[in-house]
Amino acid sequence: MADDKDVLRDVWFGRIPTCFTLNQDEATEREAEPYYLLLPRVSYLTLVTDKVKKHFLKVMKAEDVGEMWFEYEGTPLKWHNPIGVLFDLHAFNTVLPWSITVHFKNFPDRDLLHCLSNTVVEAHFMSSIKEADALKHKSQVINDMQKKDHKQLWMGLQNDKFDQFWAMNRKLMEYPTEEEGFRYIPFRIYQTMSDRPFIQKLFRPVSPEGKVHTLGTLLKEMYPVALPNDGEQKLYQVVIHGIEPLLETPVQWLSEHLSHPDNFLHICIIPVPTE
Amino acid sequence: MAAATVTSRASERSGRVLAPGGDTWKRHIVRQLKYRDQNQHAMFQDLIRFYTQLLDKSSLTKGILNLSARRPCSDSNSLSAVLQQKNQLKKTTGELAYQVVELQQQIKIKECVLEEQSVRLQEEQQQLSCSSDTHQLLQKQVNQGQQENRLLEMTYDDLLERQREAESRLREEKLKEGHLLEDMIHLKRQAAARMNSRNERKSRAREANLQKKLLSGARSEVTVDSSSAPTSRSTSPEKENQIEWTERQHTRLFRSSSATSLGIITSIRGLFHKKRRGHSVCSLDEDLMCPVGTCVSARVPVRALQVLEAHDQSINTVRFSSSSDLVATGGTDRVIKVWDIRAGSLTHTATLEGSNEGITCVEFDPTGSRVLAASYDKSALLWRLDDSIPKLTLTGHSRKVTAARFSGFLHHVVTGSADRTIRLWDLHRAACVQVVEVSSFCSDLVCSENCIISGHYDSKIRVWDTRAVNCVQEFPAQGKVTSLDLSSDHRQLLSCCRDDCLQLVDLRRGSNERLCFRADGFTCGSDSTKAVISPDSCFIAAGSADCSVYIWNVSSGDLETRLPDHHSSSISAVSWSLSGKYVVSVDKSRRAVLWSDM
Repeated sequence: MADDKDVLRDVWFGRIPTCFTLNQDEATEREAEPYYLLLPRVSYLTLVTDKVKKHFLKVMKAEDVGEMWFEYEGTPLKWHNPIGVLFDLHAFNTVLPWSITVHFKNFPDRDLLHCLSNTVVEAHFMSSIKEADALKHKSQVINDMQKKDHKQLWMGLQNDKFDQFWAMNRKLMEYPTEEEGFRYIPFRIYQTMSDRPFIQKLFRPVSPEGKVHTLGTLLKEMYPVALPNDGEQKLYQVVIHGIEPLLETPVQWLSEHLSHPDNFLHICIIPVPTE
Repeated sequence: MAAATVTSRASERSGRVLAPGGDTWKRHIVRQLKYRDQNQHAMFQDLIRFYTQLLDKSSLTKGILNLSARRPCSDSNSLSAVLQQKNQLKKTTGELAYQVVELQQQIKIKECVLEEQSVRLQEEQQQLSCSSDTHQLLQKQVNQGQQENRLLEMTYDDLLERQREAESRLREEKLKEGHLLEDMIHLKRQAAARMNSRNERKSRAREANLQKKLLSGARSEVTVDSSSAPTSRSTSPEKENQIEWTERQHTRLFRSSSATSLGIITSIRGLFHKKRRGHSVCSLDEDLMCPVGTCVSARVPVRALQVLEAHDQSINTVRFSSSSDLVATGGTDRVIKVWDIRAGSLTHTATLEGSNEGITCVEFDPTGSRVLAASYDKSALLWRLDDSIPKLTLTGHSRKVTAARFSGFLHHVVTGSADRTIRLWDLHRAACVQVVEVSSFCSDLVCSENCIISGHYDSKIRVWDTRAVNCVQEFPAQGKVTSLDLSSDHRQLLSCCRDDCLQLVDLRRGSNERLCFRADGFTCGSDSTKAVISPDSCFIAAGSADCSVYIWNVSSGDLETRLPDHHSSSISAVSWSLSGKYVVSVDKSRRAVLWSDM
């Protein structure tokens, strides 16, 4: 399906215009200019911010430089969530570009994981993929792959190579023809209002009666509050990759096409902005 | 504000696309993604790029500005220092120029070397490519060879397998052969034992018979008043012969001699025949025997004494023995049957087997103890009457043998064949002694003293001298000659032709008399229809395709009688007994009819 392939491309090449500004408290030799960047939605913050770091280090005193971290309107941004998820969750209804504050000191150990090199990101990414495949195929597909195949997935993400990544990821998205879909759908539901990081449960793509599960059924089971009651004003937006899919969209299709490279379907539920 | 419009439009859209069914959700997603990219990506792409460029440029200009700001600090120097510096600089410039020239020269040299080396490199590369080509070629050949080898190996394996199979089969066959051989030896042994016991029984019976005959002979001596009647065994056979000859001459002179005296003569002759039969078939004294010719007045048969189904298939030939008491018939059913006629009817006495195909011609030897036959199986066969297995098989003809006759010498046999040869065989050596090539299919032949007369399909009758082996005389016939018969005095030759005419030729030198015999209704039924002359040469008899026997009177040339009704198909052969009493005719529908005047 040409449409499906286009969707995959659009998902992969989704970008968020971002403005990085240095925190006011940082000690600088001279004034730091803001830095603008188009961030890939499917990647991770620490993976694409080398240029940002380089830009701000020019004006920093070397002795004051600690581990770099990011913050948006007082919320530290968790680098281990994909960039698109962070944006949709925290800044979906705000004015673009997304304005992120860069810090080089006072690392919030309570909120964030340390990330000193890309190998940490790789380990996190691969573990996500493995977890997702455990849900989808009892880990059979990922275990059948060789080390270099795993590397290909990671390099595809790191270097933003769509074809390279999908040549391998395609296998992870297959399922036996005699079945309706994956064993379980790997998904995570994020919300801003709760302390829980996300909701993740076992959920099959098809009901025992053979009925195809949709986004609506998923939410009804996992987070019924997100669904609008009849006749009432819509309270929550269900956002995936910066769009609001219809509730009748089959979960299986969403999992195959709107999953992040880590093979999880990240769903953000955010309150409808009040005027 | 932009975000607000986004959400409002998005909700508007999601509301609208609910209506049409199908993949609306997918179209919705595609549309929203496009919208998202337009808002978040496309709008900011150029902006951010230009901003980054500007940032770079500004930092560059800042760097340059810093440099230019630093330079004005180093001025207010004395002129001399400057001049010194200038001089120094000039010097260094000169040195440097020199160095440049030198280096340029070096560069030139190096370039030359480089060029050389590149040329050499090219050559090497060429050689390399050449050798790689040849390498590829060789590799290909090797591959081909390997493939061929594999093929050969496969075929070799295949052959090996087949050989193994064949060997196992051979082993089996050998085993089987051994078994068969054992069986055969066993059977042979049994047959030999059986034969021995039978022979013993026969010889004992014969002795007893002889004893009886002798006793009766001694008794008959009283009734017949003859001075030289055979009374004792000590009488030599030569002497007996003389007696017989005298008897025979006597009877020939007086044709009307009584039947009783004839009966006595034949009984005496029978006595001696029996005695002789005990000897070996080809013993010398037998060979010296002259042909027995009894010439009595033949009586024209008038009625059928007996009609019988003699063979299993069509009968081709019939012949009386010279003693007139035995008849042999040969048929397509590959056997010869011997019948005793003394009781006035045909009594089956023996069946002679051994031919692989149908019998075409049969003849008794003058002593009546052996039977000679020609066969479709390209051979002639010789039996002794007391043995159903052929004593001799004469092979050599390449097509069917149509006629086989004893020649004037008893141990010689003459055969005529469809292979256009006439062969002379020596029975002592059981070998062919002479081959006469003729230009035509030989259908029948007869033997006289020193000559052979043969009838052919080219409508010719040829006379051959047996001593010189050349054609001495040729008679024309009206059609294909089907049979020949010689009168008992060897003077007249009867030939039967396909043009339904019998021709009687006088063989005496100087005489060219030819008589033709025809009759209404008489048709020659086949290419081997056999006609005969009566023993007294007064009549000729032939069977017709209209199931009747026709008999003509020689002296008048007219039809004497026609014997219809008893045959059911074309008559193939007729034979007249030497005693003149009986005529036997045989036909294609297995029937034999015995005719007589009684």
